[in-house]
Amino acid sequence: MTSAGVMRIAVGFYILLFFAYLFGPLVVMSFTAFNSSEFPSISPWNCITGEWFDVLVKDKHLMGGLRSSLFVGIGVVLLAVPIGLAASLLLTQLQKRARSVMYTVTISPILVPGVVLGISTLVFWERIDRVVLGAEDGFFYDGYFMTIIGQSTFIAAYAMLVFLARLQRFDPGLEEAALDLGATHTQVFRKILLPFLKPAIASAAVLAFLASFENYNTTVFTIVSESTLTTVLASKVRYGINPSISALAVIIIGLTLIGAVVYEYLKRKEEKAASALAAEGLPGMGTASSPRPMRIPVGALTGLVAVSLLAGLWFAQGYDVDECKVRVAEENRVRFEALKQQKLAEAKAKREASGESAEAAVEANQAGRQYQNIFAPTNLGQQVDSAAETETETGAEAAVEANQAGRQYQSIFDPGNLGKQVDSAVENE
Amino acid sequence: MAFMGYSRSMSADVQLDNVWVQFGDFVAVRDASLTIEGGEFFSFLGPSGCGKTTLLRAISGFQAPSQGRVLIGGKDMAGIGPNHRPTALIFQNLALFPLMRVWENISFALEVKGVDKTARRKKADELLELVALPGQGDKMVHELSGGQKQRVAVARALCAEPEVLLLDEPLSALDLKLRQHMRTELRAIQQRAGITFIYITHDQGEALTMSDRIAVMRQGVIDQIGDGTTVYDHPQTAFVASFVGENNVFSGRVAEVSGETATVETQAGRFGARLSSTAPVTSGDEAIVFVRPESIRFSDGTAHENNLTAELIQQEFEGHFWHLVLRTESGDQVRMSVMNDGSTGVHDIGSRINIGFSAQSAIVLARGELAAD
Amino acid sequence: MLGWLRWFLARNGVALSVYMLGAVALWVIIMIVLPQLFMLDFSFRHNWQQMDPSKMGGPEDVYTLVNYHFLAYGSPNNPDPFNVVDVTVFFRTIIAAVFVTIFDLAICYPIAYYLAQVARGGKARLLVLSLIIPFWVNELLRAFAFRILFGEEGTINAMLMGLGILSQPIDFVREDVALYAGLGYAYILLMIFPIYNVVESLDKNQIEAARDMGASWLRIHRRVVIPFAKPGITSGCTMVFMLSAGALAAPQILGGPSSLWFTQIIYQWFNTGSNWPRGSAYAIVLMLTCVLLVLAVMKIFKVKIGEIGR
Repeated sequence: MTSAGVMRIAVGFYILLFFAYLFGPLVVMSFTAFNSSEFPSISPWNCITGEWFDVLVKDKHLMGGLRSSLFVGIGVVLLAVPIGLAASLLLTQLQKRARSVMYTVTISPILVPGVVLGISTLVFWERIDRVVLGAEDGFFYDGYFMTIIGQSTFIAAYAMLVFLARLQRFDPGLEEAALDLGATHTQVFRKILLPFLKPAIASAAVLAFLASFENYNTTVFTIVSESTLTTVLASKVRYGINPSISALAVIIIGLTLIGAVVYEYLKRKEEKAASALAAEGLPGMGTASSPRPMRIPVGALTGLVAVSLLAGLWFAQGYDVDECKVRVAEENRVRFEALKQQKLAEAKAKREASGESAEAAVEANQAGRQYQNIFAPTNLGQQVDSAAETETETGAEAAVEANQAGRQYQSIFDPGNLGKQVDSAVENE
Repeated sequence: MAFMGYSRSMSADVQLDNVWVQFGDFVAVRDASLTIEGGEFFSFLGPSGCGKTTLLRAISGFQAPSQGRVLIGGKDMAGIGPNHRPTALIFQNLALFPLMRVWENISFALEVKGVDKTARRKKADELLELVALPGQGDKMVHELSGGQKQRVAVARALCAEPEVLLLDEPLSALDLKLRQHMRTELRAIQQRAGITFIYITHDQGEALTMSDRIAVMRQGVIDQIGDGTTVYDHPQTAFVASFVGENNVFSGRVAEVSGETATVETQAGRFGARLSSTAPVTSGDEAIVFVRPESIRFSDGTAHENNLTAELIQQEFEGHFWHLVLRTESGDQVRMSVMNDGSTGVHDIGSRINIGFSAQSAIVLARGELAAD
Repeated sequence: MLGWLRWFLARNGVALSVYMLGAVALWVIIMIVLPQLFMLDFSFRHNWQQMDPSKMGGPEDVYTLVNYHFLAYGSPNNPDPFNVVDVTVFFRTIIAAVFVTIFDLAICYPIAYYLAQVARGGKARLLVLSLIIPFWVNELLRAFAFRILFGEEGTINAMLMGLGILSQPIDFVREDVALYAGLGYAYILLMIFPIYNVVESLDKNQIEAARDMGASWLRIHRRVVIPFAKPGITSGCTMVFMLSAGALAAPQILGGPSSLWFTQIIYQWFNTGSNWPRGSAYAIVLMLTCVLLVLAVMKIFKVKIGEIGR
């Protein structure tokens, strides 16, 4: 094999690995949305189910958060896009030095950590509220208001970058031509510049909305007593998780995929039109440059979606979730029983051999871990505990061990605990 | 007053009163004073960077003069923006609105005045007739060819019913053949519309074919104003002589002036040449003798008033003309163009040839800046 | 200035001028500059709001360095020479952010180069498009995905144990592996795209020429591609560093119990700690450190701020 061949294989492998890193987590998360296990996992696959989507839709907190996220997102679009537009127009009319100063200032919110933006917004408007309105929870100290303002601070910079990119391709001669033909300044703006910027306005609005929708770092400070989808999600993920969050992820990933396919389709259509035009102008040219290779991936993607939908439909017809669940529960119960008996026997043998209970406790602890692999950990871990407690003679000690294991597990994921640790660490005054 | 199809519209005169335009230390236009008559086709001719576009922008209102006044129709234009001046500008790159249809482009001036759509459409169609593009109103701009875009730009400007139309090198993007065609076309449109055209170009062929009068500019200064033949045959400065048309250049010193001719001592020999009536030289001046390539003849035994012997170093056949390049003993290069009447024999490269020209066909001017080739 | 204003007004007309200047003034003054100044002001104040609101605006409401002092030395009865917890967390956060940045640069540079110079046509476009997809998925959900993968009962442990490589699950969360993998993952795109944009504009002939002269791949990258891509690399590194140092969601979800992120301490001061002035002081220290560090790096690599964010 030639060295070029080795190189190509190495490159291909690297790219494969990279995209596995990129998509692996999302794919695994998506699968967990369809597993009936209470805990989001795929390793012990129980039953295929759609119930988590039900749970998701019925979740009042998440749905409320979704509503306020939409509200905030629209507010941010209405505030940040006009600001970004104004700033980009102003920037193109400034002299060199003033332009670089303004560029630095306006781009800085992108570089400043989101928490800092959230904090400064919170502190500023709380003060304004107290000083100007003389009220404690007045108009300005409002979660929605502050979140829209705080997010817009940096999202306006995104919008500005979008507009600047488009404006680079604008011919200022067009403005002069319109002026020369008698248009007023406002007419030039409305009839020449705005139509030219229309695609940029659309992309800036989409970008602003999405950036707002997924923002957490700024929002968590400015939202105060309200909550958006991200803050609800954060508390859910922190305090206890179930696969309904995976179901939400599946929906978002699905929407993104559809968006990507639509975008690609529109772009291809546009390019096709452009190349058709070029072909008309210059016979024999243009058609060669039409992006033929794209047809395959987009076709493949749509095909994939269609096939999986069909498969899902076919599967749903001959499949009963409840039946499967009962079966899995039964299987688990049997395995659990067997395991329990085995462990008890081992413990008994050990105890008889050495008469020490500590080892038994360790064993029980290990058993607990293994069970957790099989079952949803929070519920079943306790079952193991209680089983160990009732069945073992030196049960008390074992239970303590197992409980500790369980608590450790919780403490990892529970930022409340973590918070307490911080507090105690910090507040040692 | 309405501009209706082929009827003559109102035209205004344009007057520049000691106009200066400065950008910091750089003087783009220096003390320009002239009057352009109503209905005239007037060209500013000069190399790029000579200030002609700046002058045009001062007339159209995009650039305020640093000093001096611009008057259109006798009215001072100071403080009046481009959208309130009776001028319309055709941009070098035409600046057609890419997102509008042809007819929308043309009737834009009416749209901003709030004229209703049917009237606008009607007017646009009339103007499309005028610029010989009937029935093309619904096309998009990018569907037009270069020449068609040109006409749309003219129509769009005319739709504003300007009294003065300003054109900033509008033909420079076209190929040679189309350019030549559009020259005639523009001239015809100007005569039909009957308004003042002010035309900016660096192409002397364009200026000479279309204009009633030409102003030749150099580094912000207007060197000469006159009609085509005046500027070509009676240049006033060395720059005009070298920029407008081709000229052979013999530098030297004036030895003698008698009547309307002078004798100049140059490296290549002693030449007699006529004096400029407006900018004569006197004895002892540093001067340049200019002779057009087509004024140089073979001697063929007969002696001319001015004679040279030179070695043929290059010759090109262009159908109706032979273009020859020769080198004199003094090292000067001489270009000559000889009409191909069928009897003109082919000379060998390297052969020595006797040539000459009449004093009347040459002109002597004070030494000054020459146009770069 | 006045001359410019007159020119600006003449150029844009009154309505448009007012809109542009007004919107930018609102943004720059009310949304960017004043809040930062207020936060700065706040960081030098006592926490009277919580401790004794009646003292607000009174003679005891004076400027103080107590909040910064606390970050450095802790409470007065702290036996240690400095505030061990906070200072340690602070430096660990900065260093970890640097490592995340280096990690991202290392894995993204080859991909960015591949997409910009090697991949062709439809394939390149598909790859670029698919890079964007994970980025549209919420930051929290991405962190959640990593928790599913790296949890003690997670997919990776299950896989490794299933294959018999492990007999005991590894606590990836406690070991901070999950956090670093999640942080690195979160900002991949912000590293790839600036580099991709610059490398794409590199004339392929330069690489061909270098190869033609017998340069090795390593040398081509060191002498031709990397110097050319420097603005993109700096831009990407700046973004990734700033965002990971200022990250809050990923550490909250993926952070181990013993390892805090500095932003979490700030969050505590605002939330349960109810000490906004102190939180402001901490935030200012974080921001200044990040900005100074980035400016220093930009100075070293001679990249201007104007080149960032393109």
